[in-house]
Amino acid sequence: MFLLILSYVSLFAFIGLSIYKAYQYGHMPMHGRQDLYPIPKEKGKGHYGGSYFEETDWWKKPRETSLFEEIIDMLKEMLFIKKLFDNQRPLWWLSYSMHLGIYCLLAWTVLLFVGAGTELSGIAMNSGHWWATIVYHLTFITGLAGALMVAFGTAGLFIKRTVVSSFKKYTTPQEYFNLAFIFAVTASGLLVWINDPGFDYGRNIARSMLTFSPIEADAALSIHIVLLGLLLIYIPLTKMSHYVGKYFSFHKVLWDNDPNLPGSKIDQKIKTAPVVKPQKSWSAPHFQPEPPKTKEM
Amino acid sequence: MINGKDLKVQDIGKESGKQLTKIDSLKPLPKPYDQPGMEPPLTDPKPEWSEKYCTSLDGYVALDTFEKPKTKEEEDELVRKFLSGLEKMLSAETNKGILQPLMLTLDYCGKCNTCSDACHIFEATNGHELYRPSYRAEILRRIIKKYFTKSGKLLGPLVGADIDLNWETVARLGELAYRCNLCRRCAQTCPLGLDNGMIAREIRKIFSQEMGIAPKPLHENGTVKQLATGSSTGMNKAAFMDIMEFHADDIEEMVGVRYDVPIDKEGADILLIHNAGEFMAWPQNPIAFTIIFEEAGLNWTLSSDFIGYDSVNYGLFYDDGQARKIALRQQEVAKKLGVKKIVIAECGHAHKASAVYADRLTSAEQKIPVESYLPLLRDIVLSGKLDLDPMRNNFPVTLHDPCNIVRQMGIVKPQREILKAICPQFREMTPHGVNNYCCGGGSGFAIMNALNFGEFRNKVSTRKKFEQILNAFQDTIDDPSIPKYVCAPCSNCKGAIRDILEFYEATEKYNIHYDGLVELVVNAMRKFDRPFLEFLRNEE
Repeated sequence: MFLLILSYVSLFAFIGLSIYKAYQYGHMPMHGRQDLYPIPKEKGKGHYGGSYFEETDWWKKPRETSLFEEIIDMLKEMLFIKKLFDNQRPLWWLSYSMHLGIYCLLAWTVLLFVGAGTELSGIAMNSGHWWATIVYHLTFITGLAGALMVAFGTAGLFIKRTVVSSFKKYTTPQEYFNLAFIFAVTASGLLVWINDPGFDYGRNIARSMLTFSPIEADAALSIHIVLLGLLLIYIPLTKMSHYVGKYFSFHKVLWDNDPNLPGSKIDQKIKTAPVVKPQKSWSAPHFQPEPPKTKEM
Repeated sequence: MINGKDLKVQDIGKESGKQLTKIDSLKPLPKPYDQPGMEPPLTDPKPEWSEKYCTSLDGYVALDTFEKPKTKEEEDELVRKFLSGLEKMLSAETNKGILQPLMLTLDYCGKCNTCSDACHIFEATNGHELYRPSYRAEILRRIIKKYFTKSGKLLGPLVGADIDLNWETVARLGELAYRCNLCRRCAQTCPLGLDNGMIAREIRKIFSQEMGIAPKPLHENGTVKQLATGSSTGMNKAAFMDIMEFHADDIEEMVGVRYDVPIDKEGADILLIHNAGEFMAWPQNPIAFTIIFEEAGLNWTLSSDFIGYDSVNYGLFYDDGQARKIALRQQEVAKKLGVKKIVIAECGHAHKASAVYADRLTSAEQKIPVESYLPLLRDIVLSGKLDLDPMRNNFPVTLHDPCNIVRQMGIVKPQREILKAICPQFREMTPHGVNNYCCGGGSGFAIMNALNFGEFRNKVSTRKKFEQILNAFQDTIDDPSIPKYVCAPCSNCKGAIRDILEFYEATEKYNIHYDGLVELVVNAMRKFDRPFLEFLRNEE
């Protein structure tokens, strides 16, 4: 029962803590503009880095933005880590391997639940039913490919950060631990998989979670579940939660170039922002109240 | 002294009193500056400087108002003030205008070093660790970890809380904040969208806003002077009116036609604000603006009101309080005149300060819209109103993209449309547009010349720009009879490029010149018999 409870707790902790993190960033005060071009949503201009500032009387013209362009750019970054690909290819191979592996494992997790649901509906995975066959093989491919890529990526990044001086100097023990932790979870999963190539164990866990029944696990599987559970709780507490931060740093900071025009959302935010007299202020002489009054000479 | 490749973030507080590191090598310049003896060598700081200033980072001094602590009490006070500033930097109460972007950058850096290759200073020093964009950010991150987080206090070096904070760390970090041009090219390449330039500015803010330490050219001779007299040049209203009295005469002398300059014209469509430094250093620039605006028949005015005649806002580089005061004052001037819009002339940081930085300082109804001169100039040039002859600019011309106008405002095409229309031999730098490199004078470097800082600028921070300029003119560089023109539509960039060309004697040896964009436009006007550009007039 412990493993089942841990599975629930870790899953909900991962989701809950990630949402809480997003909530914290989302509720920080509105910041000054930090536009950095190219901004993909600038319709017809995003591809070369242009903006509405290229127009005379820009405030009189309709603001044209393209959600499509923004989503395309976002997908390039999410799915391919394009900036790293463009600017630092040697690291990209390792980083992308790890990230693509994680995406595969996310798909694998969904497929495990689909498989468990299929079995619960009375269709066994080895029944030869077309649906079960598809789910079974997709689960196999995503699970194995994902685990191998994550293991390769994390091990490669760990070694790179240990060997290459310019990385080693900036890497903290915690950052090595993070990589090692992910590797350990993946490696322990691969060890379980060796004796269960069809990922039946995964579907059993999913079935237990769907039916609230205890998870049956040997020592190796128990270790894997515990490690994975702890990792899921740990990730949102660290900078590995950059899947949250990245949304804000692009959409709410670098790409937030919406002008403060009468009636705009920005204007509304400024007008409705609570006026609180700060209790603290900066200490330099020119920040003190009533600075020396100067006259035009 | 630790060499550039071996330097670690933990070294920042070590070897107190000694110079931590020095620039060991510089990236070679292209032909013809690839030969020995073509540039003055790097020099060491004068030993006596170390008694007063912090020369213990890399030997250069940007913070010319910093005074070394003389007693243990003063050392402790410096650290205390820094920590106090750091606390305020992290507080929504005292730093809400940047808190979200700041926390994202502090929280999420993946140490992938992608930012490094984007930095012109890191590249110029052949990858000296001190100038890696993430170096100073990582130091700040680790100090914050150690003093402001539970994990840092509990786990210490295991989570990176491993920087010894002593007065030397503080002093060196203050200097290090002025080894970045705040061009934000590094942020463009960051896979996580983080901004190391912002970190450099935040450190500058702590020094200025909490500790009262900022480079004299930016603070005492910059914003303080501007808030006292009306201009960072020290030009008050009377002096401005004096200059304007002669402005029309100067124009007449240059082009043979008299144009009266509208000043304080209430209800004009446009309030044009120049960088007041132009009146002193490059008067041909405001002259060219006057000619173009008058010929185009615009309803415009200059202001003689306090701060209304100087678009400069050095607060943008180091201090939010000063930046805010200046930006709001410029808005007040425009409102008082009842103009329909403010147009910022050729000054990059003024563009950003007025149009972007100040955009959310007040509610929309309280603002007069701000526009760059570039789209307006593009419309005028392409309208045919000026009767332009491109063959008058028939020499190689390249364009420098000021970071504040291009990368940070997205104004890319108008200047190119103008140059393509009036300069038959226009060629781009590589790279250009939003990917272009800083001139090396950004964030105040262009006007910081105290002690040996000018050497850092000329040898290091402008090096990439000089390389770009030389590469743009490789087809004609060997022929000094052909004039070559670097179009730099920004006062600070012009200042930096002026200094490069002088430092490397590039004008004298290779006939490379610089100036703005409006000068090229006026030079192409058929209406005038004589060339407008000085180097062409001198040739006559």
